[in-house]
Amino acid sequence: MVGDEIVLRVENIHKRYKDQEVLKGVTFEVRRGETKVIAGPSGAGKSTLLRCINLLTKPDKGRVWLEGVELTDPETNINKMRQKIGFVFQEFNLFHHLTALENVMIGLTKVKKLPKDVARKKAEEALLTVHITEDLWHKYPAQLSGGQKQRVAIARALAMDPVIILYDEPTSALDPQLVGEVLRVMEELARKGVTGLVVTHEIGFALEVADEILFMYGGRILERGPPREVVFSPKHEVTRKFFENITKLYGGK
Amino acid sequence: MAGMDPVWWEYIPYILQGAIWTFTLVGGGLALGFAIGVPVAMGQKYGPTWLKAVLDAYVWFFRGTPLVVLLFLFYWGVFPVLLGIKLDALTTSIIVLGLRSGAYQSQIFRGALNSVDEGQMLAARALGMTKWQAITNIILPQALRIAIPGWTNEYAIILKDSAICFTLGVIEILTRTRYVVISTGEALGPFLFAGILYIIFTYGGTKVFNIIYEKYHIPGLVGKGV
Amino acid sequence: MGFWEEFIPLVLHGAVNTLWVLVISIPASVALAIALGSARVYGNAPIKAIATAFVVTFRGFPLVVTLFLLFFGLADLGIYLTPYQTATLAFVLCGGSYMSEYVRGAIRSIDIGQSLAARALGMTKFQELIYIILPQAIRRALPGLSNEIIYQIKYSSLAFVVGYEEIFAVSKTFISRYFMPLQVFMVDAALYLAMTTAAAYGLRALEYKLRIPGLEMSIR
Repeated sequence: MVGDEIVLRVENIHKRYKDQEVLKGVTFEVRRGETKVIAGPSGAGKSTLLRCINLLTKPDKGRVWLEGVELTDPETNINKMRQKIGFVFQEFNLFHHLTALENVMIGLTKVKKLPKDVARKKAEEALLTVHITEDLWHKYPAQLSGGQKQRVAIARALAMDPVIILYDEPTSALDPQLVGEVLRVMEELARKGVTGLVVTHEIGFALEVADEILFMYGGRILERGPPREVVFSPKHEVTRKFFENITKLYGGK
Repeated sequence: MAGMDPVWWEYIPYILQGAIWTFTLVGGGLALGFAIGVPVAMGQKYGPTWLKAVLDAYVWFFRGTPLVVLLFLFYWGVFPVLLGIKLDALTTSIIVLGLRSGAYQSQIFRGALNSVDEGQMLAARALGMTKWQAITNIILPQALRIAIPGWTNEYAIILKDSAICFTLGVIEILTRTRYVVISTGEALGPFLFAGILYIIFTYGGTKVFNIIYEKYHIPGLVGKGV
Repeated sequence: MGFWEEFIPLVLHGAVNTLWVLVISIPASVALAIALGSARVYGNAPIKAIATAFVVTFRGFPLVVTLFLLFFGLADLGIYLTPYQTATLAFVLCGGSYMSEYVRGAIRSIDIGQSLAARALGMTKFQELIYIILPQAIRRALPGLSNEIIYQIKYSSLAFVVGYEEIFAVSKTFISRYFMPLQVFMVDAALYLAMTTAAAYGLRALEYKLRIPGLEMSIR
């Protein structure tokens, strides 16, 4: 499933907030069809890194390419490129004034300028893919459960036919009993070959689905490799401690 | 002599006709205030620093100065002397009510814009929307809804303030009531009647705004209060 | 004498008159607001009804109408008020009614635990209100009250309709002698802006001074 073609390349990203250097030179790449998990303690710069990729946050230094186009080039139309990068937020950020279906449609109609009926079809497909059934399509976000909201948010990203989906701790804001339904959807997408870059503490998901784990610490990638290697026989003491704690906390499936 | 004066209630239709002028003032002032207030709020939130400073000064001036002073300043000063144009009392009143309501409405709307959480903008940009697309498709539709209760309030305020336009001689409810007082020599009845009329219009109008609110509010979403 | 030499002392005299009304009407409005707000939450049914009717009336009447009613309307009943009395009373009735809404909202926002704890201590309803609820509620209502106080400063300009010699009244008369409306009314605007801005800062300082550490208080 995973090809050789590199779709996302991140090179030497630096980001500083006032007196704190959050990212100190991060480099990695993602191949088509791959699922990569970024793990690490809070404050390691994981979320900042994701936002630097689609330039919701502007990196101070470093470059990002998507399918060979440099996003960090000021000449690049970033809005055009963002259409190809799905983004799933920890807090869902569904548009409050739109129904589930409209949330998925709006990117298609307003950004991609698809005709309404085409957009609607695509949106319905995306919703069904994430198991949001028809009875929920006309509900407003405030009428949905957390797990449903996040699945709609995934559908919103998915409907845009993205090259890659970035997930920023997609299950952290959910009640424990709702985490499963979201992870299952993410896993299904990964198995279908949707390229993903996932910031998460869900070790079970990483072990099952990820092709590689990037372990971030202090604004750098401290360690990387196949999930089992990084989780069970890491090279660094901090890595070992981190996964040990997280396994205890989350009961490591 | 007093016995020969007509009784005041015979003039009720005459007073009621003033409602046409009152609502011209209110409608004109609210509409102009909306046309000013929304862009001012957007400028204050999203504009460059120099623009924010200019808009802040505008809001400060029109919120801090009494309406009656503004009416006289514009009717006798700004329009004829400074700009060299002669405007009638009604037009001047609508413009002044609108300029002042714009200052207040910008505050209402800015509060509404601020209560739309940051994540909405982020998610819109992440979909590839431009800042402008995000504002028009995502932020504005939410903020406009959140602002409805604020506007309901603004309606009640501008309705009552429209009475102050009697000072320029606009023949609205209060001007007519005063004519009746002068010509009948009775004050208590006519002024009470006028007062009650304003109460009725306040509540009637508020009802209309509430219907609009019910129609457009987003199920399950509680506005964070403005 | 020139325009400025004549106008400035005159308008300052008007400003003193304006302030003379406000120093009475503002504290009296706050006191009335507390009474009305408390009555509407804590009163029995008839008291509630009376307080509500009072508030609906004086919030619903435009202030100019209230001024005319008190000055000319009461005269029909043989009650003659001076312009100063009329202005002060009208501002208190109107301001107190508007402010009472904030007091009422603030009282209702105090959590039920406060009331339960007060009663558990054996306090009467009245003691509970005075010692427990109001000290918290007034702090919460303060931002709203501040707004209304600033409104009252501006609306004090309407006292001219009953012939009270305040800032605007003297200005209006003055332009019939020197037709310099731009200058005259800009001076008025400046005076009101100075008063409202100073009041806004003063009231914010008061809010800060009265804040309860660790408690997020303000509601609007």
